[in-house]
Amino acid sequence: MNFSGSVLLVDDEAHIRKFISLLLRHLGLTRIFEAPNGHAALELYKKERPDLVMLDVNMPLMDGIETLRSLKVIDPDCVVVMLTSLANRQTIDEAASLGAANYIRKDAPPEDIGRALSDTIDSCFEPDEPDAGGPGPSP
Amino acid sequence: MRTLPILAPGGARISLACNPQAMCHWPWRYPMDDPLSSPSIDLKGRRILAVDDDRINLRIIGGILRTEGYEIADAASGEQALEVYAAFRPNLVLLDVMMPGIDGFTTCRTLKKTYGDKCAPVIFVTAKSEADDIVMGFDAGGVDYLTKPFRPKEVVARIRTHLSNQQLVEQQKLLVEQLSKANAAKDRFLGMCAHDLRNPLSSIRGLAELMDENAIGSLTAEQKEVVQTIHSASQSMLQLVNELLDVATIESGHLKLDKEPTSVVEIVERSVYLSNIEAAKKSTRIELLKAASDPMVEIDRNKIRQVIDNLINNAVKYSPKGSVITVVIHSDDSVAGFAVRDNGPGIPESERHKLFKHYGRLSAQPTGGEKSIGLGLAICRKIVEAHNGTIGVENIEGRGCEFYVSLPILK
Repeated sequence: MNFSGSVLLVDDEAHIRKFISLLLRHLGLTRIFEAPNGHAALELYKKERPDLVMLDVNMPLMDGIETLRSLKVIDPDCVVVMLTSLANRQTIDEAASLGAANYIRKDAPPEDIGRALSDTIDSCFEPDEPDAGGPGPSP
Repeated sequence: MRTLPILAPGGARISLACNPQAMCHWPWRYPMDDPLSSPSIDLKGRRILAVDDDRINLRIIGGILRTEGYEIADAASGEQALEVYAAFRPNLVLLDVMMPGIDGFTTCRTLKKTYGDKCAPVIFVTAKSEADDIVMGFDAGGVDYLTKPFRPKEVVARIRTHLSNQQLVEQQKLLVEQLSKANAAKDRFLGMCAHDLRNPLSSIRGLAELMDENAIGSLTAEQKEVVQTIHSASQSMLQLVNELLDVATIESGHLKLDKEPTSVVEIVERSVYLSNIEAAKKSTRIELLKAASDPMVEIDRNKIRQVIDNLINNAVKYSPKGSVITVVIHSDDSVAGFAVRDNGPGIPESERHKLFKHYGRLSAQPTGGEKSIGLGLAICRKIVEAHNGTIGVENIEGRGCEFYVSLPILK
């Protein structure tokens, strides 16, 4: 994975943010912003313009789908990877139709999460095709 | 506290420590001094509608029944009976057959048609005890008949029988209703509980794994061992929670399949590949025998993968270290699937049926030590059956057993 961009990590659960951010650092990504909810995520996105957003689906008040919709209004080209727990086909399809690049199950072992993430990054940030569209759903 | 002597079967006298305060929970309908007596049902206040064009008869029957504690309403004709029924909502109807206007049989049919299953039982009252009359009464929907002149004891006994039956049916319906509500609540609770446990558990597992990989600096040998213990403990807890969640999903009827045409070889190959990594820790090898063909099936890949993984994991679990587990792919004109052959002790004939059903008991007793035994296979069975497939087990002569799954082939 040849990527050194910044990542905005959005999840209402602190332990998930801890786990995913540690995983990201372990993968060599050091510029990580964290937001505990959709509103904070939108503010941070406007301010920091991260290269990649990892966005939890299930959040109180403003859920991941709603946040995704708003993010795409702010920046139609933003690259968003949805974080799911129990993958619900309908939610995944909805996120995909709103322009999410991929989804990752956060209850998967770290190596699976890492693999899915680097697949997404590889397909979204190729030098010649900066926006090649999302790959198929991760296994 | 006081002790309560109880006569055990065979006459042995045993004593139960008994807390008088807890006594109120004892089913009071069963007299304590006679545990073998049948439960008596309180029928006082039950409503009976007596229908007869003969006023004297009504008075006689009313007298008999009121002394039994029943509430009585009467009607002098079929037409009036229909009206009174609607207002009085009796628990039982005593219905004279021969009446001016609409007769008893027609009245009964009308009641049955109007109130359906909820209609009170109808006992016909007839002066004649002719077989034809009785048969016609049963045909019209009556449950019993009484002949005039009345023998009070017979009237009381028959009425009590039918009221008791009716009450038992009502109680049973209520009980079933309550039980299914309780069961649904249990499933909802189980699902919610498992759902909310998953995220923290996967974080614990993930963080432990990252620490083990020196993601936050190198660890001493002892720290590494501790971190690995946290990892494996959270891994098995996550497995258990996932199984509970599966059971809850299946039991609540929410098992949904996302079916896609899939190559059996492909899906089995992937599971075998991944399981080999884990099995290597037990020096066990999983070998996929080369398939003669590559059949296609329409399946929910994640769910069927879960079945394959579960069967392979079981095979590794119950086979001695250093075994070779064999996985084979089979197909014919109508079905295709796979089989996993282990080197374990095999399944005794007498226990084979328990294998895929065990979870029912387990889910009712979550404190049992056998946390994942059988739960996994019961889930496998549900998943395979949801695909209209079959799952089974055969012992292999002298060396372990073979679990097989067959799914309808995609033509």
